[in-house]
Amino acid sequence: MKSFTHYLIPYIVAGRALLAAKQTFLTVTLFLVNGLFYQLYAQTIVSGVVYDQKKITIPGVTVIAGNPPKPLASTNGRGEFRISVPDGSTLVFKFMGYIEKRVTLKPGQTTVSVVMEEDQSNLEEVVVRGFVSRSKQLSTGSSVTISGDEVKDVPVANVEQLLQGKVPGLNIQVNTGAPGFRGSTQIRGLSTLTVSGSGNESFLQPTSPLYVIDGVPLDADGASEFGFQQQGPGVSPLSMIPQEDIASIEILKDAQATSLYGSMAAYGVIIITTKRGNSEIPRVRYTNNTFMKAPPALRATLGGNLERQLKIQQILANARGEINLDDLIKTPFLSDSLNAYYNNSTDWQSLYYRTTYNQSHNIAIDGGNPTFNYKANLGYFTEKGVIRNTGFDRYSANLRMEYAPNEKFKFTGQINAQIGKQNKGDGAGLLQTGVSDGGATSTLMPGPSFYQANADYVGSLRTKNNNDVRVIRPVAEVSYSIFPGFRATTFFSYEFKSSNEDTFTPAAANNQFAKVYAFNGRESNLYSRTNLTYAKTFGDDHNIFINAFNEVRKGDRQNSITRQERTPNDQFQGPLGFDGYYSRGGGILTNFLDERAVSFALATSYDYQKKYVVDLSYRLDGSSGNGFDNLYSRNPAIGLRWNFDKEEFLDNWDWLNMGALRLSWGINVIPNGTLERIYGKYDITGNYNGQQGIGLNFDQIPNPNLKPTTTTQYNAGLDFSLFNNKVDVIYDTYYKKVDNLLFEENLSNTVAFGKLISNDAGIVNYGHELSFTIRPLSPSSPFNLMVTVNGAYNRDVLLKLPAHYGGQFIRFETNSGNRETYLQHNVFRVGTPSLSNYLLINEGVYATDDDVPINPATGLRYSVNGVPFRAGDPIIKDLNGDYVLDANDYARTGNASPLFTGGLATNITYKGFGLNINASFTAKRTILNNALADRFNLMKDPFGLKAVIPLDEFNMWRQPGDVAKYPYAYDYSRIEIINPYRYDQTLWAEDGSYLKINNVVLSYMFDKKLVRSWGINNLRVYISMDNVYTFSGYSGPNPENVTTMGRDISEGYPVPRTYNIGCNLEF
Amino acid sequence: MRMLNKVKVSKIGLLIVLIITASACKDYLNVQPLDRLTGNNFYQTKEDVEANISNMYSTFFDKINESWVIGAIGEARTGEIVASPGGNSYNERRVVEVLGRNQLLTAINNAPYAGFYNYYRITDWSGYYRVIQSANILIDKLNEGIAALSTSDTQRYLAEATFIRCFTYFWMVRLYGDVVYYTAPYQADPLPREDMVSVLNKCIADLEPHKDNMPWVFPDAAQRGARASKGSIVALLMHMNMWNAGFDPSRATAYYQKVTALGQELVNSGAYRLLNMDDDGWAAVTKGRSEESLFEFYRSINYGDNVSNLAPFGDHFLRWPYKFPRFNNQLSHCYYLSTYMQKLFPASDADKRKDIWFEDMLADNGQFVARKFGLNVYASGNEDENPDNTFLIFRYADAILLWAEALANLGNEGQAIEAVNMIRARAGASSYAGMSGTALKDAIFMERNRELFGEGHRYFDLIRTRRIMSSTWLAWPLNQDQFTRRAWTWPVSTNALVNNPYMVLNEYWLPGGGGN
Repeated sequence: MKSFTHYLIPYIVAGRALLAAKQTFLTVTLFLVNGLFYQLYAQTIVSGVVYDQKKITIPGVTVIAGNPPKPLASTNGRGEFRISVPDGSTLVFKFMGYIEKRVTLKPGQTTVSVVMEEDQSNLEEVVVRGFVSRSKQLSTGSSVTISGDEVKDVPVANVEQLLQGKVPGLNIQVNTGAPGFRGSTQIRGLSTLTVSGSGNESFLQPTSPLYVIDGVPLDADGASEFGFQQQGPGVSPLSMIPQEDIASIEILKDAQATSLYGSMAAYGVIIITTKRGNSEIPRVRYTNNTFMKAPPALRATLGGNLERQLKIQQILANARGEINLDDLIKTPFLSDSLNAYYNNSTDWQSLYYRTTYNQSHNIAIDGGNPTFNYKANLGYFTEKGVIRNTGFDRYSANLRMEYAPNEKFKFTGQINAQIGKQNKGDGAGLLQTGVSDGGATSTLMPGPSFYQANADYVGSLRTKNNNDVRVIRPVAEVSYSIFPGFRATTFFSYEFKSSNEDTFTPAAANNQFAKVYAFNGRESNLYSRTNLTYAKTFGDDHNIFINAFNEVRKGDRQNSITRQERTPNDQFQGPLGFDGYYSRGGGILTNFLDERAVSFALATSYDYQKKYVVDLSYRLDGSSGNGFDNLYSRNPAIGLRWNFDKEEFLDNWDWLNMGALRLSWGINVIPNGTLERIYGKYDITGNYNGQQGIGLNFDQIPNPNLKPTTTTQYNAGLDFSLFNNKVDVIYDTYYKKVDNLLFEENLSNTVAFGKLISNDAGIVNYGHELSFTIRPLSPSSPFNLMVTVNGAYNRDVLLKLPAHYGGQFIRFETNSGNRETYLQHNVFRVGTPSLSNYLLINEGVYATDDDVPINPATGLRYSVNGVPFRAGDPIIKDLNGDYVLDANDYARTGNASPLFTGGLATNITYKGFGLNINASFTAKRTILNNALADRFNLMKDPFGLKAVIPLDEFNMWRQPGDVAKYPYAYDYSRIEIINPYRYDQTLWAEDGSYLKINNVVLSYMFDKKLVRSWGINNLRVYISMDNVYTFSGYSGPNPENVTTMGRDISEGYPVPRTYNIGCNLEF
Repeated sequence: MRMLNKVKVSKIGLLIVLIITASACKDYLNVQPLDRLTGNNFYQTKEDVEANISNMYSTFFDKINESWVIGAIGEARTGEIVASPGGNSYNERRVVEVLGRNQLLTAINNAPYAGFYNYYRITDWSGYYRVIQSANILIDKLNEGIAALSTSDTQRYLAEATFIRCFTYFWMVRLYGDVVYYTAPYQADPLPREDMVSVLNKCIADLEPHKDNMPWVFPDAAQRGARASKGSIVALLMHMNMWNAGFDPSRATAYYQKVTALGQELVNSGAYRLLNMDDDGWAAVTKGRSEESLFEFYRSINYGDNVSNLAPFGDHFLRWPYKFPRFNNQLSHCYYLSTYMQKLFPASDADKRKDIWFEDMLADNGQFVARKFGLNVYASGNEDENPDNTFLIFRYADAILLWAEALANLGNEGQAIEAVNMIRARAGASSYAGMSGTALKDAIFMERNRELFGEGHRYFDLIRTRRIMSSTWLAWPLNQDQFTRRAWTWPVSTNALVNNPYMVLNEYWLPGGGGN
């Protein structure tokens, strides 16, 4: 139902009205005279209904007749109209997004049924630039619009994941199935070199696009600033929007499109517009989804006696001497098989995972006419996670009203109120590693009962976690046209967000002391914008459009936590009051914010006969975070467009419906100079001679010379439609250069400071994006088929590092994590992909002892830690040729940035039936299969209380002469010595390409007459399935369930499959 | 036309609105952060400067506080200290004997000493460089000008910050030999180590101009000794000159002349005096802020200052009734060999210091008490705490004896003897009546050992006078080769090599360098 937006936009923006010149003017006038004057011409009363090709009625269609033609009426909420015209008149039906339709009445005809065809050329689409709607025909930037219809049939907590594979250049990876959490989103490749965290939980600093929701810019990375395990309380703002309420989503990719949004838009912009009221007669629409979430297949585990036998065999076969055999006797859970305590076969994994049944309900009521309209959307969404004790609930109420008594004045009021409640299980964030640890417990241990053999179980399942976020956001907009062509608009919003998290950890999960954790945060954002727009046509051919606006923002945030331990028992959960004995610290968190920002922007557009378009824009961004000297950053952009289909010399190319060439250049500047970075931070520390000391914090050296990170982007695009709009092609190529990237340099200890934040690094992304749409069938056919294929190729190259690194910096992992040590290093080397792995090269397994090379100088075999390799050990390339495996044998190999991403969508309709299939692909990226590495490492300690897995399916060395891929896993004492399953080797590096069938939707629209008899206006039912199937050569469980650094985190939250039955009802 | 005019009017109006809002914006955007102190809103008031200087002193003190530092660097390496069997943590305390054999690597790395004393911390100089960076930055800010300060305050703080910087370099030179020297604020680029004589010459040149901007005494008695005064600067200049006189022999005379001039100025000022050698007098000196103190790190339980149990030198030489509780403080941890104590305080010579400063001086077991550090017994009953003493760095007596030493070296023996006798007279000892020449110099050296017992000067006096190569003066002398290769330094932590291509460590302590 893209119609709602399109219908109203001409009236929202005066500039547009003027551009559209006379016809639009008449349309506007229509609403002043609508329904008042038609009796004056009363000759014949004609009534009728307007449908689209799918037999859905279209409200708001303008009906024009007479000589000269005048708009006489518009269709009501059921698509009906009633006018009085002279006999035999010609009626013209006009509606935004549809091809104009002319119907000449036969003498005496009083009823008419009109079918309007959608205008497939997408020329009349509107796009939003600098908070003002503009015709896509005149847009010079690169953007893609997704209609709300495309994201409504698959129930999800976070609508962002449904954009996967729909927009070329928008790389979305749904790498967590945790309810209410986000995956990763990148527009046009890598934009940062900042890696935080360590080991498997290393992650790239998120560079999510700026989200502008109904005109209000929002930061989507809010809830993830502390990384994975440190994931702070809060719910992603994108999870707070009910998908049923979305009218359209627009993705802006190039700098011409984004520069008007300033510093925050350096990673692209995604504009989400919610639905507006649009029905003369109040209309009630109800949507219900009932869906099932099923966890993916669990890891196969040997149970009970099989596990015991395997472990005993492993020990007997590989014991080094009597002492190991004695150890077996001293390990009762293996030797004392008759002991009931050890005589179990507990399926630990199934205790954590479950299939869940969930539902969502959404009621939308709207009504009104262009003078006054309203809408209300009430939504409820609940999703229980496939890991027990996790889930997400959302309650939302969005209200909107618009009042435009005349052409000059317009008022819009909107209130969004949402509550998101998340249950994070043990509270550890989206990875839920406690679950995978607990799930890997030995099956011989007794399952959960009064006695707990495993604290992870209690930690994950009995922890009470409630993380809720309440948001209320009133918005008001007043606009007034002072004289034709000139309009002033003031927009104001205030968002207040309150976040609370309460966690109660029972004693058994926390060293016998129950723990209470309470987070309390509040955040507010005041946002105001004033637009002045002016549109004017000089002569017949020259059009100018000027948009000047100013934005003012003020953000406040304060979060605090309380942590207490030692409640008397699990029954008593507090409050405990404050006491030094109970308290485990807390206080106000460091992400306190008091930020103010002001920006000014000016965009001018000129076109000649809508054929040649020039866009110039300039934006000044000022923020209180920038320090005092250099308050403003400057973001200029230029765009050019040539609509060559309008050229006379191409007039005889009938097969060309539309063709345009676009060129753009723009800069987005992100200031880096926070007060702390420029001037240093002073801590209250040290006490001398009775006087409190205050001294410099030595973590980072103040750097007054920090330059802002500058993203310069060039874009060239070619759009064309051929053969009566049967084929649409959009092609873009870009070159995006990021200069002055922040880079942390470590310093000599003689300068006392730990690191220097410099910005001498730079990266480049370049690539191509192509979207190809084909509609092979004729519009009159009952079958309707549309296939869209899109793909993007993106390559990133490291341009520059601080000079003294000599072109290479290696980020060595250190052994500091609390989890198992994933010592996987990265190398930044100038001239190569920005972030490559730095690993040992694995070349197989030594089949026999004789295969191990001998150092001719010493006669000793190739060795590690002084122990020579032998048959069954991995062949690790001795890069420096010294016959010793050490830190000098690492090499740059593979990187996690995908070279290709894209998707495929098919839409088939036949009468009331519809079938949609969406797929997405990611290709040419290296991922590290740490899930498999973890599984092999389970074999390291047969005496330990971990489960074991069957290894039959793996090509593993078993006896001398075997040519295998994986080293021998059963020789546990040798594993300790030579570490064959070390994480820092290419044995785990695999190609992470995949093609995923994201979702399949089958829908049926009941015949109108039939449902009318049931008192229903419209009824549509559908079934859908999400995360249907992934085709991949990857040997791990899911090639998408990896971090932005390319490390498999399937031990974390698996991505479930969703089966859904839903219906749309309209009364 | 009407339309055009309207456009013009509106454009002008728009422009005016933009200009007004733009100028108002600067104020709107200036948000003083409430949640953190950043450099832009610091150094605004006198209190800020005071707080910053307090931070520097306390940062420096952290380096002294990180182990038994004064003992390890200035006293124990000569071999006269022995751990007392039966004392607390006997095995760990035997590190004093390891230090006495100059086996620093063993003392730093080996069990059981490593985990108890953590001497590896001494090898890490980054804490000192924090003080230097802080001082450099403060000096930079003071030179830029801090409006809230009067000229005399600015001069004083400049002198104080320069003193702190130079004192830190001096301290590091004595520990590590050559060090990285810089005075630029926010130094970020790595630098090579610089010859120590050159470092000290730069420090002397840096500090000298500030000497006369500093008062001898402050109106606030609480700052006496605890904060740098003119006396502190004079004492530091004397020490730096004496060190260079030892290592830059060709210019020794010039250094000695400077020391004599400074010593004369100090004595003439009358700002300091030697307190009486009795329990009360000496307790006042060790309590701190006394008229005898030229510079000290003042610590007091009254301020809740956190002094580690290991840090005071005296900790190892006190037992009940100077330490509580009685049951586990029957013996001092360590004692000085009686042979050394007899040499220091011959039985035949009257000297009040023997009685006021020691108990069971010749015991050769844990009965030995250095009462010198035990007079301010921790106030309350049975807590196992050290006496509440200050950490003396430069004392008037120390400066007088340096002055005497320089005078003797310049041949001005009459005045030198006069100076030594000032110290001996206070101690109730006979006036010096010995020979001249070398004998006088030796006598001055012995007087320094006596007077400055346990104050962290002995080892450095031995080094700069080359006496460290003679078994006459210490139990574990170095040979010429060891001295040349600076066996007297401490090893430098390998952390110094990270991100500094110019860095070389102390060769003697590297594998194959001969050190142990």
